[in-house]
Amino acid sequence: MALSLSALFFLITSTFYIIKPVRESFLIAAKPSWWPYADLATALLIGFVVAFNARLLARLPRRTYLTASLLFFIAGVLLFWFIFNVHQRSLVTTPVVDPSGVFFLLWAQAMIGRFYTVLVIAFCFWTDLFIAMSVTQFWIAVNDAFDPHQAKRLVGLFVSGGLFGGIAGSAVAALVTFVRIIQPEDLLLLCPVLLVLALVTVNLVYATRAKPEAQAAGPASSRSVKVGYLESFRTVSRNRYLLLLAGMLGAAMVVASLINYQFKTVLKHAYASDQARTSAIAVFFLVIWAVSTVFHLLTTGRVLKSYGIRWAVSIAPAFLLACSAAVFLIPVGAMLAWAWVARGSDKTFDNTLTQSVRELLYVPVAPELKYRAKIFIDMFVNKFATGLGAALFLVLYHVRQFDYRADQPLAIIRETGLVTLVFACIWLVLTRFVYREYPAVLKRDLTQLWMDGQQVVDTRIDEGLVRQVFEAIQSRERSTTLYYMNVFNLVRRKNLTPELKELLGIKRDEIKARAMDSLFDVGGSVFFPGLEETITDSDFQKEIDFIFLLPSYQKIMDDRLGAIAASPSEVDRIEAANSISRMAPSPPTMEALARLLQDPSPEVVLYALNSAAVHRRPEHVPLILRQLANPMATAEARSALAAYGPGLEPLVAPALSSPDQPLEVRRAIPEVLARLGTQKAADILVAELARRQDDMEQPLIDALYRIRADCTEIRFRDRDLRPELHRLICKACDLVLDPPVSSEEFKALLDIRVRRVFDLLTLMYPREDIVNDYQHILQGTSRSVDYSLEHLDNLLDREDKELLFPLIEDLPAEERAQRLRKALRLK
Amino acid sequence: MVIKTREQGNIVVFDIEGEIRRTDTVQETLHSLVEAQLARGRRNILFNLGAVEFIDSFGVGQILASYISIQKLGGKLKLCRISPKLLLIFQITMLHKVLDIQEDCDRALESFGKS
Repeated sequence: MALSLSALFFLITSTFYIIKPVRESFLIAAKPSWWPYADLATALLIGFVVAFNARLLARLPRRTYLTASLLFFIAGVLLFWFIFNVHQRSLVTTPVVDPSGVFFLLWAQAMIGRFYTVLVIAFCFWTDLFIAMSVTQFWIAVNDAFDPHQAKRLVGLFVSGGLFGGIAGSAVAALVTFVRIIQPEDLLLLCPVLLVLALVTVNLVYATRAKPEAQAAGPASSRSVKVGYLESFRTVSRNRYLLLLAGMLGAAMVVASLINYQFKTVLKHAYASDQARTSAIAVFFLVIWAVSTVFHLLTTGRVLKSYGIRWAVSIAPAFLLACSAAVFLIPVGAMLAWAWVARGSDKTFDNTLTQSVRELLYVPVAPELKYRAKIFIDMFVNKFATGLGAALFLVLYHVRQFDYRADQPLAIIRETGLVTLVFACIWLVLTRFVYREYPAVLKRDLTQLWMDGQQVVDTRIDEGLVRQVFEAIQSRERSTTLYYMNVFNLVRRKNLTPELKELLGIKRDEIKARAMDSLFDVGGSVFFPGLEETITDSDFQKEIDFIFLLPSYQKIMDDRLGAIAASPSEVDRIEAANSISRMAPSPPTMEALARLLQDPSPEVVLYALNSAAVHRRPEHVPLILRQLANPMATAEARSALAAYGPGLEPLVAPALSSPDQPLEVRRAIPEVLARLGTQKAADILVAELARRQDDMEQPLIDALYRIRADCTEIRFRDRDLRPELHRLICKACDLVLDPPVSSEEFKALLDIRVRRVFDLLTLMYPREDIVNDYQHILQGTSRSVDYSLEHLDNLLDREDKELLFPLIEDLPAEERAQRLRKALRLK
Repeated sequence: MVIKTREQGNIVVFDIEGEIRRTDTVQETLHSLVEAQLARGRRNILFNLGAVEFIDSFGVGQILASYISIQKLGGKLKLCRISPKLLLIFQITMLHKVLDIQEDCDRALESFGKS
């Protein structure tokens, strides 16, 4: 059945391409002032006929409808053959009233002669109607025969049928007219034969179709929710992207229409006889088909793949702009060649690149919106643009008096060329606007699916506060003093919520109640009942600050702190480590802190690290670095180092790359640098990544990702990152090509590798876009995965894409492996 | 601030009343009074802070300056009956590890002999 349908498409397109040279040739033979009317007739009337056709489609059984419409076209083509035949004969012979009294023929001859141009225009309209309706009917037949999934799979076969039909039709027309076997109008006699074959094929298809009748009527009934033109117009007018798209497609149609008039002008001048002209046009279409096929096979895919839609969308308008400009430079002798190139390139692009680009530009539009927009663009914008092109030519024709200058074809095509040039410029400009909107429209549906863990922690949790709260609660078990110190530090940090105060036990009522039954008695001392009021009193807080600044206080502490820090009591050392954070950084105090940073008790070290974070002394950095290897203190050590802020980089960079440092220390440093968030830190991380040590890869990439997330102003050089990105992709490729035995392990490893690749991509491309694309590729719907891939296709550099896409596209395993091998070879 | 001085054996007891704060500074500060006692050869001093309603950083500074001066001469400074609020201050500033703070004045007086 698929072959039958492919044959049907072959028959339809070959019929059209046999008729088309006749149509063009006969129209060109008419006075140029009539040419635009053919386009105007199509633009104005085809909508009504299509609407009428839709009614028929809804009312008649499908098979009857298709049979009737094919019979209508067979009758039509025979009628037009008769008209042209009678007209051609009347030009060479004088009608004779023969005794058999065929009066009708005489009358027809007279009428045809009188209204010949109008009949040619009617023929043009009929031809346009034929192709519009028969292509629609073909897809209706496909829809009736196959479900969408099957149809999608077979679309290549159907399109091939159409392609070969176009080539065969043009070849037959070219051959037959070139060898002058028959008159041009006699070409039309081939069409009923082909259409009868089409009729047989249609009936065969419906006789053997897989889907039952009820289902076959599906599309018509499913479209029962009709979308009016007004509604489709509103859809387009309210959407900036669709509006730009409609404008771009409209400008392209105007350019095509004007180039067509230029082409006709040249051909009218170049070929005097219908025979020669029809032959030339048939050859022209044959060449166009051949060139389009080769161009499509060799170029379209590659252009889209390598340069993306960004450049693909501009190629046709840029080329046609250049063609339109070239008309002002060519001599008369090159006019025909120019016309072939200009119209030929317009048609070739239209059949290949432009068509693909047009479909891609609709990708980001939601299906419902796309359906409505297409109605408006196909039914109104296209017709309007064709009509506008016709109207412009008509105006030029009369204003510039082309009628009297028919012997100056170059001047006519140049003057028309000026208008073409203007619309080609508009087209080109609109492509840029459309492209600028395109990623934004794609991105509209690619919202972030989830927040990064780090982002959640950073935005929703005050990590430092949580740590301090826990320290304060725990310190109640240790000593009242430590508890007070912690509560004081907490209160100084920020206003505590009533719930937090309750948790900490500093709420007034809570304290009273607990104090009464001695529940609150810790270490033999009862908590101070007025703690909340006192500790939250700003005057009290100020007084405490002043005490720490008192010279006498500092002097006493300089003398005593060393002894307290060396105390055998862990609590004393903890309290000392805690208090140092508020003390002035005198040498004895800092020495005591250094000692506490090396304390055997992890708790002492934790408090000492907090104090070190306050004083930020360079001499403490090696001691803090050492604590990075201590699992109980790693987080606090990282925080302490991060608190040093900009300027720390040269102090930790040597440790990052030193093989003498424990791996735990080296692996903890990247996060410290990430938290510094400086350009220098980023550069150090990139340089370390370039050393390509597997053990360091994950923390380095995590840190770089964090820097990008936190500090948008940091700049990364592509030339430093790209080799690393490609290395990561290659590692993922190697994994796919040589997977571990367990599929679970493979999937987990691949996920990690791909995640690292995307993390690194955030440094080279807009972070939010990359994150969203990654999330959708990982967990999106099939549609959002398509959007993400399309978005990445437009976003990423060609080289990056070629390596990455085989990894992330949904491909059969064999094809993926093949593409990966190819990508790796290229690399 | 009102400071009454009394002697119990070789110990000078400062019974301090009111508030020790910067704004209430009079000609004679707590530290100057201690200095005067030191000049008189007294080395053991007890601050009875039971009637002190408020003490600010200036007051703490006075106590610390007194401590330093006494310490320099090998003497002893003790504090008794300090309010919970003052204790809180000392705890937060870790001065409770430096200063000898006694809950009861009699015990404080006794402790001069012991240590």
